Amino acid sequence: MDPSLPSVILFILIGYVLSSFDNRHHNVTRRYDYCVLGAGPAGLQMGYFLSKARRNYVILERNSGPGSFFNKYPRHRKLISINKIYTGRGNREFNLRHDWNSLLSDKPDLLFKRVSDEFYPPADAFPQYLSLFVRELGLRVQYGVDVGRIRAVQSATGRHYILTDQHASDYTCSVLLVATGLWVPHTVDFVGADLVEGYESISTNPQDYKDQAVLILGKGNSAFETAQSILGRASRVHMLSSSPVRLAWQTHYVGDLRAVNNELIDTYQLKSLDGLAEARLEKIVIAQQKEEGERRLAGKKKEKRKQLYLMLNKYMHNRNSFDATQEELPGHHIDNFPMRKPYDRVIRCLGFRFNFSIFDSSACPPNSENAKGRLPALTPWYEGKNTPGLFVLGTASHSRDYRSSAGGFVHGFRYTARAVHRLLEHRYHRNPWPSTQLLTTQLQSWILKRVDEASGPYQMFEMLGDVILLRGSHCEYLEEFPLQALPQLSSLSGHEVSMHGLIVLVMQYGKKKIDYLGRSRAETEWTNAWKSNFLHPVLYYYKTLPSVEEMKLRPNGWPLPRPQAIHHIVEDFLTEWDAPISHIQPLRRFLEHCLQTDLRAFYAESCFRSSLTHRMPPLFCQQGYLKQQGIPRNSQLRQRVHDAGLTHTKQDVGTSNADSTFPNYLVPAGASMSSGLKLDL
Amino acid sequence: MMWMCVAVFLLWMRSGRCTDKANTSDLIEYTAADFYEKLHSGKMMFIYFEHQVSPTISLFLVELEKSAEALQDYGVLVGKVNCNKELVYKYCSEERLLHTAFLFRGGKEFLSFGLDTIFDVNSIVSEVLFAILRDEIKYVHTDADLLAMEKAARGKKDIVLGYVCSLGTQEHRSIMETAYVYGSKYQFILITGGPVLKHLGVNESSPLSRVWFLHCRVHSGFMIPMTSERCPLTRMRKPLSTLSLHSFLQLMEAPLVTEVYDDPSSVQPPQFPYQQTPQVFLFSHPATEHLDLDMATTLAWRLRGLALLLLVHRQSPAVKTPDEYNAAYRLPEKSLEVKYLTLNSLDEVLVLFADQEKDEEEEDDDEEDNEGVDDDEEDSHFGKLDDEIAAAVFENRGTLPDMDSVTQLTSDNFHSAVAQSSLTVVLFYLKWDAVSMAFLSSFIEVAERLADSEVNEVQMSVVDCGEWTDLCAAQPGSAVPFQPITAFPSVLFLHPQHPAQHFRGMLGSEALHRFIMISRVASPVLLSTLEEAQSFLLEVPHPELAGYQLDRVVGLFEAQAQTAAFTEAAKSLRGEALTGLLTDELAEKWAADHSVDLPAVLVFPSWRTHTYPFTLPASSSAEELLTHINTALLHPMPELTVENLPSFFLLGKALLLLFVGEEEDKIGRRQNQALVKEMRTVVESGGEKMERYLACWIHLGRTPAGMSVLGSYAGSMPPLPALVLTHLPSGDQIYQYPPNTPIVASSVLHWLQRVEDGTESPTGLLDEDSWPPAFEFYDFLKIMDMQEPDSAQQQTPKEEEEEVNEEEVNVKEHVVVEDMTNDNRHAHSEL
Repeated sequence: MDPSLPSVILFILIGYVLSSFDNRHHNVTRRYDYCVLGAGPAGLQMGYFLSKARRNYVILERNSGPGSFFNKYPRHRKLISINKIYTGRGNREFNLRHDWNSLLSDKPDLLFKRVSDEFYPPADAFPQYLSLFVRELGLRVQYGVDVGRIRAVQSATGRHYILTDQHASDYTCSVLLVATGLWVPHTVDFVGADLVEGYESISTNPQDYKDQAVLILGKGNSAFETAQSILGRASRVHMLSSSPVRLAWQTHYVGDLRAVNNELIDTYQLKSLDGLAEARLEKIVIAQQKEEGERRLAGKKKEKRKQLYLMLNKYMHNRNSFDATQEELPGHHIDNFPMRKPYDRVIRCLGFRFNFSIFDSSACPPNSENAKGRLPALTPWYEGKNTPGLFVLGTASHSRDYRSSAGGFVHGFRYTARAVHRLLEHRYHRNPWPSTQLLTTQLQSWILKRVDEASGPYQMFEMLGDVILLRGSHCEYLEEFPLQALPQLSSLSGHEVSMHGLIVLVMQYGKKKIDYLGRSRAETEWTNAWKSNFLHPVLYYYKTLPSVEEMKLRPNGWPLPRPQAIHHIVEDFLTEWDAPISHIQPLRRFLEHCLQTDLRAFYAESCFRSSLTHRMPPLFCQQGYLKQQGIPRNSQLRQRVHDAGLTHTKQDVGTSNADSTFPNYLVPAGASMSSGLKLDL
Repeated sequence: MMWMCVAVFLLWMRSGRCTDKANTSDLIEYTAADFYEKLHSGKMMFIYFEHQVSPTISLFLVELEKSAEALQDYGVLVGKVNCNKELVYKYCSEERLLHTAFLFRGGKEFLSFGLDTIFDVNSIVSEVLFAILRDEIKYVHTDADLLAMEKAARGKKDIVLGYVCSLGTQEHRSIMETAYVYGSKYQFILITGGPVLKHLGVNESSPLSRVWFLHCRVHSGFMIPMTSERCPLTRMRKPLSTLSLHSFLQLMEAPLVTEVYDDPSSVQPPQFPYQQTPQVFLFSHPATEHLDLDMATTLAWRLRGLALLLLVHRQSPAVKTPDEYNAAYRLPEKSLEVKYLTLNSLDEVLVLFADQEKDEEEEDDDEEDNEGVDDDEEDSHFGKLDDEIAAAVFENRGTLPDMDSVTQLTSDNFHSAVAQSSLTVVLFYLKWDAVSMAFLSSFIEVAERLADSEVNEVQMSVVDCGEWTDLCAAQPGSAVPFQPITAFPSVLFLHPQHPAQHFRGMLGSEALHRFIMISRVASPVLLSTLEEAQSFLLEVPHPELAGYQLDRVVGLFEAQAQTAAFTEAAKSLRGEALTGLLTDELAEKWAADHSVDLPAVLVFPSWRTHTYPFTLPASSSAEELLTHINTALLHPMPELTVENLPSFFLLGKALLLLFVGEEEDKIGRRQNQALVKEMRTVVESGGEKMERYLACWIHLGRTPAGMSVLGSYAGSMPPLPALVLTHLPSGDQIYQYPPNTPIVASSVLHWLQRVEDGTESPTGLLDEDSWPPAFEFYDFLKIMDMQEPDSAQQQTPKEEEEEVNEEEVNVKEHVVVEDMTNDNRHAHSEL
């Protein structure tokens, strides 16, 4: 028996006693500044930031442990979020670019790799990691609280949200952070929808599909994951949805079909028995063939499974019937109709939707315009539209960057949670958005540092960007601000824009559709940087904050409005933007243009000269040389020149006065001396 | 082996022959009496004092003899004195003078030359002329200096700019000889390669000697393509020789465009000295007269030095050239035949002569061709690094720094590594920051030097902040003894259990080494005996510090309890100055000796003898005390150097700057000393009035960067010494003390008074303060607007946020429903 078990039990007991004490204590009030709904990755991520800021918060979770979604999903138990442990780098920030599962914290070792070292980790590892996260950071989670109703009340002290759980207990919260995820299976209304099995309840045992013809509705990762698992048993696997497959490696959107799941594309294109087809699901009908004289319902128990037909509602006579007559079959009308043969099973893999049902009308965010309204509509700073004080985090917040960036995935929303927390700190506690003050001469290096390592703007490309507020000789550097909220920067962050303007640093993909594996897929010439196809840094310079209207009318496909000046840093194969000629110098010239000042570095001697011939030397000399930190010409470099035989130092030895004919300063400047004949022949 | 023997034999034969010849030479051999006579007559003499004849010496004597003839033309007598026959005082007595020859001028020794710099007739002639002309030929080593010279020469003199790839060569001699002749007509400048060559568009990898002519004198009547503030320049295209340089300079004097009213065939071929120059004829019509002249002028500028341009007025009845021709040319030496052409563009003429040019300097052009860089401008603007530090680091990119001598700190080993040493010096750097990388090699140099001198308790370490980003950010997890690092490079000094100390000094190996060596000493040192106190003042704590000037500060306190402020001040002075602390009786005794009242702080600046310290009252706050100490350490009449300018510059005072030249001899040194002393008198006798000025001096030999400063103040290089008043708080005016007036305290003070009264007129102005970008940025928006006109434009308000979904459904084969095509906006995807 595990010797640590008793202590674990003891620990749990104490925890239980303490927490029940806690409950009793709070029974009276149960008031919190912050309520986080859901102990999934987003809820816990926010919990960490609240806990670190020592805020009065609680995380409410209806299940008995964190991340319960992952106890069931993905059904085939393999996560497709990459867990790259070996990057060759010690830079923890950089490594997060390739770790899609860990949450953010200041504990350097609280990473997902502690629970799994598999590149595509098993799903069970995720709740395990979340438990670890809760435990090591001591987050306040109340399990078993099933909130069934949420309403907003306006009182003298402001707006509050009141959450009612299954025991009719109320929780009053000033700020409600909804991190409930998406778990209600999405369905499409069509005749025969009842004959269809759902992804949430299908068998995951491939043997159950032996020699069966299967039609899968949907072409996302769950559909392909399902298809892939039964490929070796099913006779035919067809997949149907309204739009063609989008491949993640072409769209750069991780929600599109990942290569790890795409075996069926192979078998389709190599003419095995599988295939893909397009049709709007609203227009299809799934029906059993009508048997003469008798009506049979799908649910009826029978030894042999009923065969299911894919039909089109325009051919249906009786639009509500599950059963089809011969004349109603599409094959009757189009003799080569691709899906004219019947299926043994039809499986719906259409993803999930946000659970709007728990929100009272006073607290319910509207449906999003995109994503078929499955998600709540949010402001650019993730507050529900019409629900001030209610923020949506995690997958449910994906309407902001639906099908474009990573906001619907752990490796993306961990950063949006941080951004939301930063603006909460400012809005409710007057703590301005954290910023780093930099000397203007250091800005270039700092930008390169961010561009080379920052994981937030890299994962949340085109959504989160660094904002640099120019202030003349120095600047304020704000990390990971939600780009769409740029017009509201001052009110959201507590930082003002000065007359010097601002620069926004964004990571962007190219917008052109190209041959993604073709010869001209990559741009290497820096003057063509704006044609870069792969992820690359782009800097926008604005003299003043863009307005809401300008943001709305931004150029097609752009994350930000047209700026006064723009700079693309050319895409780099290694994503290391540190090449002096191709990356650094063009960036410097762009910054010089924005700041209208020379930003070059100078040796002390040059600073000496410009200090004496001008009232003030260039900025670099002001911030370095005049602060006693001049740079003498490097002696090693001189050594090298010397080795190359360009100086005459050695010949000087012993010729005392002779060298006065050669002004000394000739030497470092590189004049070579003729040696003539050796004197000691 | 055979070959070797033959070579040795030949060499022996040759030197033998030379020796013979030297012995029987007709080289003017002076007797001591001759020598003295000529010397006192004030003639210029170049004399070698012969002691004994070795093969090398006899080779030299042959060359010396050859040069006698050449130098005679320039009024220099060349000869030798045989010390074996009779002694000339000093010159014959010292053994070390064996390898030295002397130039005498005005009755005294003017300069001496090591025989290794004057090894043949070319080097002798060039060096001697070089020495004679040293006041006339300027040296320029940066583009800024050149610009200053150009400004100064504008409207007065044209400039001849020479670059010799090595001194003492025939090319060097050619320039010197020409400078001797034309020195009063043109300003001769020698450049030293580097940045100036770049400005002139020369690839440094092909260091041929070259000459340029800078047309700084304004040529009235002609349109001069003066697009910038620079003087237009013409490169000499023929190989450099005295003759070719001579004819080149004459060609530069030729009229740019000559207007003629004769037919080209009857125009005279060019007359002396241009008879070797081709003629190009263009034709002018009365209707387009001005335009034609402009065009001819433009072409003439481009042909300058290659050909002479003549503009033929067609309306003259003498002109017989058929109208179909619009140009003609005549080559030298090829009879008087004129060839007629019909040109479509001026470039065709250029091609004609450029081909010639190509033959003349194949090497050069080949190289450029191979590189395939046609677009020179584009190249120079965007392809090269324009930042001097970045460029130097980039040049050196092949040699990676050897990091063996430094500890590489990481987030993981930081604490354990720092705990191991009594002093850890940490450099925080970024690989892509050129300044970091330039300093990294100096840092490593210091580490190696410390290891060599067995200074083991100092741990030199580096942190790559591109990698250990959390360590450099001092993130909460690691509890490090410093604030987040936001400037690179940064150097911290970590003594265990002490807050980190920032290194504030020049980012070079000397300054860092000095700082480290001083840091090793406790600060303050507790002095408990008189002997300790004595040795603190007189001795150097480590032999490695011997070469450095050390400032010392001693605190005297009656009781230990009073020392807090001083101790804190001492801590922040650690590395910069040595601090000592005396308490109790010892302090009292010392105070009595120095007749000060306790508590007191004595400051012993390195520039003052330690018997005369400054006495400061002991302040209650460390900050105040530090300010006092730092002020006391500043020299009242400093020699400005590149290193120390910042500490004086920040005083914000007007600068009264004395420039002195490099001394050649004792006399010069004495003169300079006298000048500096005179300046000190100015400061002392000026009293309170002088407090608004910082009197200081720059030694141009030790601080050559001062040359271009002076050049920019005076507009040209004035004779030395020069006294300048600048950086007045009231404005940008620069005043130069009258160059020919002796620098005497009283007249300097008068001059200052006149400046204050506004009766002196300024000689120049400080340059503008703003430092706009030196280079255009690459305007991507403009390029986008050109290449994809609408892609970067804001949308128009009408197009309501209709998300255009371009994906079209083309999978005809498997389209199930025909009518599903257009409306797939709500295509779904799952999460």
